[in-house]
Amino acid sequence: MAITITGAPPRRPVRDRHHRGVSRWVVLAGVTIGALVMLVPFAFMLLNAFKSPGDYSSGGPLSWPTEFYTRGLRTYWSTVNFPLKLWNSALIAGSVAVLGVVVSLLNAYALGIGRVRGRLWIVGVFLLANMLPQEALIYPLYYVAKEIGLYNTRLSVIIIFTVIQSAFGTYLLASVLGTFPRSLLEAAALDGAGKWTVLWRVVFPNLRPTLAVLLIFFFIWTWNEFLIPLVMLIDNQTQTIPVALASLQGDRLMDAPTTNAGALLSLVPAILFFLIFQRTLARGITAGAEK
Amino acid sequence: MQRFRRIVAALALAATATTTVTACGGDDSGDDSGAKTLKLWHYEGENSAMGVGWDRAIEIFKTEHPGVEVRFERKAFEQIQQNAGMIINSSEGPDIMEYNKGNATAGLLSSQGLLTDLSDEAEKRGWAGKLSSSLQTTARYTDKGVMGSGKWFGVPNYGEYVTVYYNKDLFDRNGVPVPTTMAEMTAAMDTFVGKKITPLGMAGAEYPAGQLFYQLALSKADRTFVDDYQLYKNPVDFRADPLKYGADTFADWVRKGYVAKNSASLKAEDMGTAFIAGKTPMIVSGSWWYGRFKAEMKANWDTFLFPGNTLNAGSSGNLWVVPTNSRAKSLAYDFIDITLRPEIQDLIGNNGGVPVAGDPARITDPKDRKLIEDFNTVSKQDGLAFYPDWPVPGYYDVLVGGFQGLINGSKSPDQVLDTIAKPYADGVKEITGK
Repeated sequence: MAITITGAPPRRPVRDRHHRGVSRWVVLAGVTIGALVMLVPFAFMLLNAFKSPGDYSSGGPLSWPTEFYTRGLRTYWSTVNFPLKLWNSALIAGSVAVLGVVVSLLNAYALGIGRVRGRLWIVGVFLLANMLPQEALIYPLYYVAKEIGLYNTRLSVIIIFTVIQSAFGTYLLASVLGTFPRSLLEAAALDGAGKWTVLWRVVFPNLRPTLAVLLIFFFIWTWNEFLIPLVMLIDNQTQTIPVALASLQGDRLMDAPTTNAGALLSLVPAILFFLIFQRTLARGITAGAEK
Repeated sequence: MQRFRRIVAALALAATATTTVTACGGDDSGDDSGAKTLKLWHYEGENSAMGVGWDRAIEIFKTEHPGVEVRFERKAFEQIQQNAGMIINSSEGPDIMEYNKGNATAGLLSSQGLLTDLSDEAEKRGWAGKLSSSLQTTARYTDKGVMGSGKWFGVPNYGEYVTVYYNKDLFDRNGVPVPTTMAEMTAAMDTFVGKKITPLGMAGAEYPAGQLFYQLALSKADRTFVDDYQLYKNPVDFRADPLKYGADTFADWVRKGYVAKNSASLKAEDMGTAFIAGKTPMIVSGSWWYGRFKAEMKANWDTFLFPGNTLNAGSSGNLWVVPTNSRAKSLAYDFIDITLRPEIQDLIGNNGGVPVAGDPARITDPKDRKLIEDFNTVSKQDGLAFYPDWPVPGYYDVLVGGFQGLINGSKSPDQVLDTIAKPYADGVKEITGK
């Protein structure tokens, strides 16, 4: 894997990388336009987050705000007790990310390297479990959680998402580990390594970039989850950010500027998280490409 | 494979459990007079009329019950709407909460045994006397969960009704007088059309179209029709008046340009913001807009009742309900009683809400007073006719689809009536079994 790249023979020197023709510029222009289009919704959110409700109603979502209005942000922060929701979201998403990756790795090790009988079927079931719509799961989950006394606890959501996310993780990692070089494993076995040592000393270090990407995905996916937290976490003390955001939407009325302000505030932690781990993400995506 | 079977078995087991779980609502009507906490949930905004009124009610409750802790939480409408059944069937639910009125919501939960029968309290504490009969309709449900008669399962605090909002500045500038009859109303709209202004704001993608149709139909209807349509007393003929009149007139209004053809895809929010921005002279919509218009609109505006109608779309607002699993029922009754006191009712009225038992004389703002007086007029003449999408589950989308076709001209009134007649008949058959 990572060793191969150092051994690659140097190729013919490229002239100047800025002189590769017009296509480069076309691609650049395309990417720039694509990026701008992606940013448009965020621009609207930003614009409307600092607009007063009256301003929004009379000028519409496209108008420039007449004043720099921050009450929406402050209302949202205090009425939903944002720091508490942030802590809940971080706790749930963080625990799920770590536990999900651990469970996925252990499952995939058994399935991909351990060669369990009928592993194709098992992986298929994991894929199936991953594709089941959450709406179909909700009532059984509610019922079980209620019976064992976990209804309305963060632990219930952590357990549920650890299982759901690790179903995907197991599917992905089992396929990756299916192609793991046997020679590496045999060499380790010759040196007298047990199954546990092989996992931690051989498999884990090689998978680390992939696992890091999984960790980030699990975190962001769980962070954005709405339906299951909405059903399972009924107390304001245990709720997550997306559920808090939904509380701004009324029966027949909506408060667009406050909703925008809330969305903005709720987005910031996820963006920060992404910026911090963006390098890991890029490294993990290219990790497979070197083979 | 083994594991797969086990998962299937578990799912099947859980699915069967769901059918039985609602049956065991629990019968613990035991003595809870010693309760020291009251867990209270509602989903009204902090600054809304109800939010302000109920905050005060909580304060009063605390002074009258020293030693009792009130654990209030403001919930998301969405959360209660989707999960109320699951929440109050668990031990984590509230002791008292706000819940949506209607067959599909409060009616359904009451028929599953999840709500406490409030009939005795309503009698003893005089709630029945404070609410007019059309307001009581949404508070009482039969064993099957059909509103209109039977036991009390909820108590409304506020009302809502469909009225006409108009932009005074636009009326003055174009020399249009405020209409008091339907003839004057159409004359006013003709004037606006003549000046290239679309007189009536509309939103075909949401409730406003169905409500306008209903308002028009109600102008030719009496209480028997409402009982037939809403409470299934007799079959309803969609090809005859009043429904036929409603659809024909609606189509006529579209043809004459009173309603814009391109409004078929608009949402209620678009209609509301266009009115706030002063682009629309009139909208026919509910009192739920009132507080927002008051806070956000710069132009002068006011309301008048839909001209010529005795019956108007409207009903009580959402209800206070006491879950069967409530552990502080007598405290919950005390709280409901406080919310119906004149002090709280007037507070709701003075903040732009429509109290069910308010005294207009004690409302200071003239516009607020007008809103409440109009409601009382409708309510006293037994004129609340509920909403067109209420009778059967899923009817809202049927109506939206039908009237979008009418607004953009792709369907004739008769075709629309046929489209909406069948789902209605099917739905009624399912509910009544006839």
